[in-house]
Parts: sequence; structure tokens; C-alpha cells
Amino acid sequence: MNLLLLAAAWGVLMMFLSVSGISRATIRTIAQVGMGLLFLSTVAELQGIVFYDLNAPAMLGVDRYALVMLSVLSGCGLLYFLLSAKDMADVGSDYSEYFALIFFIFCGFVLVLSFTSLLMLFLGIEIVTIPLYILTGADKRNLKSNEASLKYFLLGAFSTGIMLMGIALVYGARGSFSTLELVGASGIPTQLLLGGLFLIFFSLAFKVSVAPFHFWTPDVYDGAPTVFTSFMATLVKVAAFAGFLRLFDHGFGSLKSSWQIWAGILAVLTLIIGNMTAVYQQSVKRMLAYSSIAQAGFMMLGVYGLGDAAKEGMILYGASYSLATIGMFAVLTRMQDQTVEGFNGLAKQQPWISALLAVFLLSLAGIPLTAGFLAKFYMLQAALPATYGMAVVIVAVIMAAVSVYYYFRVLQAIYFREPSEGVSFPAFAPGFVRILTVIALLIILLGLQPGWLLRYLYF
Amino acid sequence: MAMLSFPNIAYLIPLLPLLGFLVNGLLRNQLSHRAIALIGSGVMALAFGISLLVFYHVPAGAPTILTAFDFIRIGELQIPFAFQLDALSSLFLLIITGIGFLIHVYSSAYMHEESASHYGRYFAYLNLFVFSMLLLVMGANYVILFIGWEGVGLCSYLLIGYWFRNPAYSQAANKAFVMNRIGDLAFLIAIFWLIARTGSVSFTDLPMAIGTVGQSAKLSSLDITGITLLLFIGATGKSAQIPLYTWLPDAMAGPTPVSALIHAATMVTAGIYMIARSNLLYTAAPLVLSIIAIIGVATALLAATIALRQNDIKKVLAYSTVSQLGFMFLALGSGAYVAAVFHVMTHAFFKALLFLGSGSVIHAMSGEQDIRKMGGLKKSLPITYWTFLIGCVAIAGIFPFSGFFSKDAILLSAFLKSPIFYVIALFTALLTAFYMFRLFFLTFGGSFRGTEEQHHHLHESPAAMTIPLVVLAILSIVGGWVGIPEVLMHGGDRLVAFLSPVIPVSSGHEISHATEYMLMGLSTGLVLLSILFAWNKYKQYRAEESDNSFARLLENKWYVDELYQAAIVQPLHKLGGWIRSVFEPKVADGAIQGIGRSVRYLSQQFRLIQNGQTGNYALWMVIGIVVILSVQFFLRK
Repeated sequence: MNLLLLAAAWGVLMMFLSVSGISRATIRTIAQVGMGLLFLSTVAELQGIVFYDLNAPAMLGVDRYALVMLSVLSGCGLLYFLLSAKDMADVGSDYSEYFALIFFIFCGFVLVLSFTSLLMLFLGIEIVTIPLYILTGADKRNLKSNEASLKYFLLGAFSTGIMLMGIALVYGARGSFSTLELVGASGIPTQLLLGGLFLIFFSLAFKVSVAPFHFWTPDVYDGAPTVFTSFMATLVKVAAFAGFLRLFDHGFGSLKSSWQIWAGILAVLTLIIGNMTAVYQQSVKRMLAYSSIAQAGFMMLGVYGLGDAAKEGMILYGASYSLATIGMFAVLTRMQDQTVEGFNGLAKQQPWISALLAVFLLSLAGIPLTAGFLAKFYMLQAALPATYGMAVVIVAVIMAAVSVYYYFRVLQAIYFREPSEGVSFPAFAPGFVRILTVIALLIILLGLQPGWLLRYLYF
Repeated sequence: MAMLSFPNIAYLIPLLPLLGFLVNGLLRNQLSHRAIALIGSGVMALAFGISLLVFYHVPAGAPTILTAFDFIRIGELQIPFAFQLDALSSLFLLIITGIGFLIHVYSSAYMHEESASHYGRYFAYLNLFVFSMLLLVMGANYVILFIGWEGVGLCSYLLIGYWFRNPAYSQAANKAFVMNRIGDLAFLIAIFWLIARTGSVSFTDLPMAIGTVGQSAKLSSLDITGITLLLFIGATGKSAQIPLYTWLPDAMAGPTPVSALIHAATMVTAGIYMIARSNLLYTAAPLVLSIIAIIGVATALLAATIALRQNDIKKVLAYSTVSQLGFMFLALGSGAYVAAVFHVMTHAFFKALLFLGSGSVIHAMSGEQDIRKMGGLKKSLPITYWTFLIGCVAIAGIFPFSGFFSKDAILLSAFLKSPIFYVIALFTALLTAFYMFRLFFLTFGGSFRGTEEQHHHLHESPAAMTIPLVVLAILSIVGGWVGIPEVLMHGGDRLVAFLSPVIPVSSGHEISHATEYMLMGLSTGLVLLSILFAWNKYKQYRAEESDNSFARLLENKWYVDELYQAAIVQPLHKLGGWIRSVFEPKVADGAIQGIGRSVRYLSQQFRLIQNGQTGNYALWMVIGIVVILSVQFFLRK
């Protein structure tokens, strides 16, 4: 629980800093230090050093899965801050508040990953999403940003309502919010319980943008300031998935005969819709938005497959997907022309940045020797033993092949096209390039030695 | 010195030609003609010496297995790189190295006009050829045999196409290679079949595969029939039987000593060897044996009729080889494996003699091969004349020349199999005597019909060529004496006894001495008549031989090549053209483009749903929820 306290405290601190009048550079440094502390405190807790423990087992309880996931999230969060904190200044004037909101979102992550009560899950989800509504609309003068924010809020409220209804039905069936007592001793669910289960399932599917509850995603991701899209599409989605898996593996796992098949169907649907639509996008930002849906389809395989393999896969997938996407978005924010053509001929002028982008794209496409490949492999392995697992895996593999098309289009533009007339590439700061290099190295390291991360799951 | 004693010394037999190949092949630009010839022939002489040693040491009982190293090991399956020394392989070793050596010596003079680097290439190929053949007969399992088998095919390709600047020769080489490959495919399938059923390819495991006393067979009768049939198809390629024989007559595009090597000592005998080696399997597959006998006798007859009307000296010999190989397959099909091996041996002697003799003639005639333009060569080429005559008599099968004994054994086995086979085989033997003596009389008899210039240049070949001829002529006379039938001499058939560890002596086919005498007398008498007929017809050359449609049919080799061209090659070309112009752009490409197009189409449709209307999004979500809940609660049980 180290992270919960620190994140809450730092969020409050950042809020107060907004009225202190100190320079943006200082604010940024304080935020980065804060995120670094978040990361260190989680790693420390993984090693058994706990300096804040909320003794409320009926509400929250951390396990190793939650801790490893939180380390991945805060670690990626640190890299995200180091890469993109500067870009937040371009969004609007409330620089310090943006950081405050992100720290609050991290509080929500802790709840989503360690809930033992459905109420805590609900709270966690809301603590994560409400700041996101604000961040989406942070570019106040931009109509698209406003529209995205409103859309997200309306549809989010809709799904929140569904989740509350589901929790109410479960409570009605079981007389308790505890996830440890979701299923009775008989193991035979009542219709009421199943109804609640499915409503919660839909609502979580909405949060992680799984088809057919994904429609908000492209519009919101496209409309939100790119720097926040990067955060939403990666860390928030991964955290929501981790909570999704936690609830349905531990809480509803024994009822999987009724819902597992739907997880498989939605995974397949998501993979198809996400990949097919991404094929046609000209804007790299929209392409990444759709590809994030496609990647969600892969992560959904974890919810479908369950078990330790799914947990390992989810952690690896979360790490590899977040790292690569954060890196892609960070470069994308700096590009003048954010279409595929905008990348034409980048390799001739910026060979090192191009090589790093190539690593990110290869990992997203799931090419061997990158973490993305192993992550997909773990997910497929988790899904294979499930009912109809083979069919689902075949679709997933075909769709992974389709995804190669649109990721490689960017790669092709970078390496095999001549630069367009009048387009110049931005100069990348050395510090920025260093962080990107670290990210690329992490992707390759995880692609070669996933045990380096996954061994923390077991002691 | 354990290495240099039996059996380890046998490793040297294939290694020596390999060494010769490497030295001559790599240093062909540095070495002189003399050195190349010395190395090429020297390794053969040494290999022959060691083969002799091995031959006299081979134990009468179980074969000696020499395992060099573990070659292939996949799970349960073990295929060692091993050699098997027994009566059959040691006999073949003698034939291959002995005749191979003589051909090498002969070649050193015959090919002397080639430039040193080509001369080196020639001897390198020749050594490699012998090496492959040695691997083939020494291999202790089908896989090693197959490696040699492929090597032989490759070397024949290289040597037939030795004069690669002539496109027709290259084409002949291609033909030989392709025909062989067709057969090889069947052989390969047979090997995999055997592995799948028995898990072993070693010859020593064959008795286990077909089941011995107290052990159930690993192969069903269907397996045995299938495997033996496929092996036989492989043999038809290598040993030039119907339907894969047409490459052999074309294979004389190579230098004449190469033809001698292919036709006598190596290559074409591989199929006979393989079937004799697999005799346990074949004995268990009577149906396939009958097929072999029919194919054999049909090939013998067909090739003999074609040989009647060929005017190229080497072509006549080539078709006679096909015909004689048919005889051998007839023997195999009749279950007389020893007779087949016997005929391989005697045939190796007289066919090598005849080819080398024809080479001597061609050499003297400054490259002329048409027998209509020869004649009267007796005076200028006395040694060639006499040795060639011995070869002709031997192949015709006159007592006591070698051909008589082996052919007699085959005719006897055919008679026991079915009188029909006997009659056809006997008729073929008469044709053989006729066309061989037609060749002989046209070449050596009468008066010279070539140009003045050729006449001027007529000369006997050098000693390096005539000595092998003489040696082979002696062998053609006495070579048959190891298999004198029981009826003529008690204990005369030493070959049967010698091969008995490999090829069990079959009993039961008893035939009365009177019948046997009668059969021998009949064939000898008719053959003599046939020779007399040929002498009468060709002692004086007449310009045009009788021209009727049947003769034309024979001259054109029954139009088999044309038939293959029309029935197989042309349709394949057409199919290829169709695939390229219709199938590939429309179907194959269409399917792949179609996938791309449908992805794009779906992509567009999905994009339309994403229209930016929040209300629509909520509606879609509700539709999704309703559908899932209805299916879950009303349809699923």
C-alpha cells in the first residue's frame, strides 16, 4: 500500500503547487521525483519493505500480482513523465493540476488492483475515470477535445450505471460485496447473480474498450490531447485489464462455464474490428487508437484463458504494450505531420530515432526478439487450453498478421520513402532520445529474458 | 596396423576413388596428363587390390558390418553410416573396381587429346562415379545405398554431359537425370514406408521385417507389395527398364569409355543389385516378381527389335544393354537372383569389351560412328577385330563363352516361371545374336566404305587401349566358368554356393536332365542359325536395307520418345503455360488479392459505424448487451 499513500499525498501536493507560483520546470521536476518515489516504493514493497499498510482485508489486499503490476505501471509512468511531462505544458495552463490528476489516477490503480470488495472496485474505476474525463478535455479551446471529453463522460456514465446495477444485483444475490464470497458453496449461480456478473462484465469491457463496447475509444483517443491519449491508451487500459482479470479470475472464476465463452467471442470480435479498422487509417494517431483496440483484443485473451499463464501474460503484455506505445506517442507528439506520410524518409535524417521507432513498431506487431512477441505468445498459450481455445488462437494469429500491415506501413514510410517537400523533422533533445533508448532496450531485454520481470510474481 | 587388415581395410575401397576425385578435381589445372592418368588409374588399381583381399576374406556366414559413425538418429530411428561386407557386395566390388580400373586405363589413351584441365575433370568425374557406385554396393542400409544411388545419377549426368558445349549432349544428360529422378522418388517413398513400418533400414533387419520363425512380421503383405513395387520402379529408372529406359541410349552422348562404365560396371547394374539385395522382400511379394518378369522380358524384346535397325555402333550396343538388362530383370522376376547377378557379371565383361572395342573403332575412324560407313576394318585393326568377335560370341551365348552360362541360367529360370517367358526370351536371344553379328559384319567384314581420308588414317589403337581389350576378352571367355550348370559338371555352379549366405538357395525346382540338355541344345542351335543368317545377309553390304513400315518403326525406336514427348512432356508444358497465364493471375493471385480487398472492404464498413454520434455508440452498446444477455439466458443451457 506504499503507493496508495504516496500517490494521494503527491496528488494533493501537486494541487497546492498550482497556486504557489513556482516555475513549470520545478513543477515538472517535483512530479518526476514523485513518480520515481512511487516506483521505488512499489519495488520496495515487492522486496517486503512496507511502511504503510492499510489493514482492511475486507476492502483491499495486495498480492504479488498486484505489486508486480503496480511496479510495471509506476515504472512506465516514470518513463512517461520523463518523456512527455514537457508536452503537457502545451496542452493548457493548468500544468500542475494535470500531474495531480495523474497521481490521483494512480490511487485508483491501487484500488483496481487490490480490491477485495466490489465497492472498492467501483471506487477504483471511478477514481481512474473521472480524472480522465478532465484530462481528455484539458485542451479547453479545442472543440475536438471538448467533444471527446463530453462523449467520454456520457458513455462512461452509462457504463458506470451498468456496473452499479451489476454490483447491486450481485449484492442482492449474495448479500455481500466481498469478492471472496461471490459464489456460494454450491457453486450453482442464481439468475440474479449471473445477471449481475454480466452487467459488471459489460461495464469492465467498456473500460478496456472491448468490442462492441469500444466505440468511444477512437473518438476519445483522437480528440484528447496526444500526450494524455498516450497515458489513457496504455497505463489506464492495462490497469483496467488487470482489475478485470483479477475479478473474473478470483471472484467469478468458478462460474467461467457461463461467461468464458463470451470473453472469447468478445476477444475475437475486438481483434477483428480493431485490426480491420486500423488498416484504413491515414493518421498515425487514429491508427494507434484502433491498434490499441486490437491490442485490447489480445489482452482479452488473458481474461478468456485465466490462470497463472494469463497473469504472466497480462504483466508482460502490459509492460511491452505500454512501453512501445508511450514511445510511439512521444515521438508522434513532436511530428509536424501526424499522418503516415509525415514519417516519410525519417530514417535518412534521424537514423537513431528511426531505429528506436522500428523497435517499438516491431514489438507492437509482435515480431520475435521483442517483448511484444513473447507477450502475444504468453497470451495465446493462456488461451489455448480454454474451450474453443484453438479457434480463438487461430483468429488471433491471423489478426496479428493483419496488424503487421499497418505497423509496417509506418516502418516502410520511415525507411523506404523519400521525404515529402517542405516537411522538416523536429530536433529531438538528447535527454529525450536517451529515455527512448532506455525504453527500446527494455523492450528487447524483456523480449529475450521475460523471467527477469515475471520471476517477481513468485516467491 | 589394425586399420590395414580385414575388415577395416575395406574403408579404403571407397576412400581411394574419393581421394582421386579430390586430387584430380582440385589440381586439374596444375597436373600433367600423365600425372592425372596415373592418379586416376592408380587409385582404381589399389581399390581393386583391396577388393580382391576383401573378396577372399569375406566370411561364409553372417555379413561383416563396418560402422563408421552414427549418421542419422531421430528418436527411435537409427541409421548408422555403415558398410556391409558379404558375398554379394564383395562380388560387386570386384566387378566395379576391376572393370573400372581397365576403363580408367583405356580412358587415359582415349581421352588424350583433351586439354589437361578437361582431362583432369574427366578423371575426377570418373573416380567420383566409381566412388558413388562403391558406396551403393557397400552400404549396409537403404539410406547409404540411396546416397550412392543419387551420386551415381549425378555423375552420370556430369559425364554424359561431359562435352557440355554441345546442346544435344547436355539435353541427353538432362534426360538421364530426370528419368533417374522419377525412379528415385519411388525409391525414396519405399524407404520412408519401410521406416514407418519397421523403424529400420538395415539389410540385416530385413528378416525381422518380414517375420521369421517365432516372430510376427512387421510388414503386412500389402506393405511388402507396396515397398517392393516402389523399389522396382526406382530400379526401372536406374537400370533402364520400361517405361524409364529411353535415357540410356541417349546416354552414349558421353565419351565412349563412360558408356562402357555406365553400361557395364556401374549405374545400370544398381537396380539389379538393389533387388538382389532385397531378395527376402521380393520372395515374399510374388505379384511384384511377376510384374518384374513381365517388364523385364518386354524390355528385352522391345530393345532387341530396336537394335535390329540402328546404324550407330554405340546405339546398337546401348539397346543391347537395355535388352540384356531386361534379361536380368526376367531372372529376378523368376526368382533366380543368382542368375541375374551372374549375368550382371558376364555382361559387365563382354559389354565393357564391346564398348571399348567400339571406342577403338571410332578412334580409328576419326570419330565416325555410322556402321554403314565402315566395313573391312579387320585388316587395320586386328586386335580390336578379334576381341570384338569374342565379345559378340559371348553376348550371343555360344558355349563355352561366358554369356552362354549366364543366359542359359536365365532361360532355364524363365522356363520354370512360364514357357511363354521362355519362348519370348529365346526369341530375344536370337535377335541378339542377329543384330550383334549384323553390327560385327558391317563393321569389320566386306570392304571399306568410308572416305579416302579416313582410310588413310586407319590404325590400331595404342597399347593402353588394346590391353584392356585383351584382358576383357579373356574374361569374356572364362568369366562364365564359375557358374557351370550342375548337369554339365558336378559342383560347377560355384557362384550359387558362394552367394548362398545372401541369396538362399531355393529348392524344389527340379527339372530333368534331359529337358535341360534339350533347352541348352535348342538355344545354342538356334543362335548359331541366327548368326549364320546374319552372315549370309551382311557379308556383303547392300546400300538400302529393305524398307517397309515395320523397319521404319524399328528405326525410330517404336516412336517411344515421340510418345513420351506427346503424352507427358507436351501436356506438362501446356499445363505450365496454363498455370502461368490463367491459374496464377486469376486464381492464385486473385485469392491473395481478394483477401487484401476484403480486409479493405471490412475496414471501410467498420469505419462507417464509427460515425461520431454518441447516441449511436450507446445504441450499439445496448444492442450488444441485449444480444449477449438474450443468448446467455434464453438460448444457452
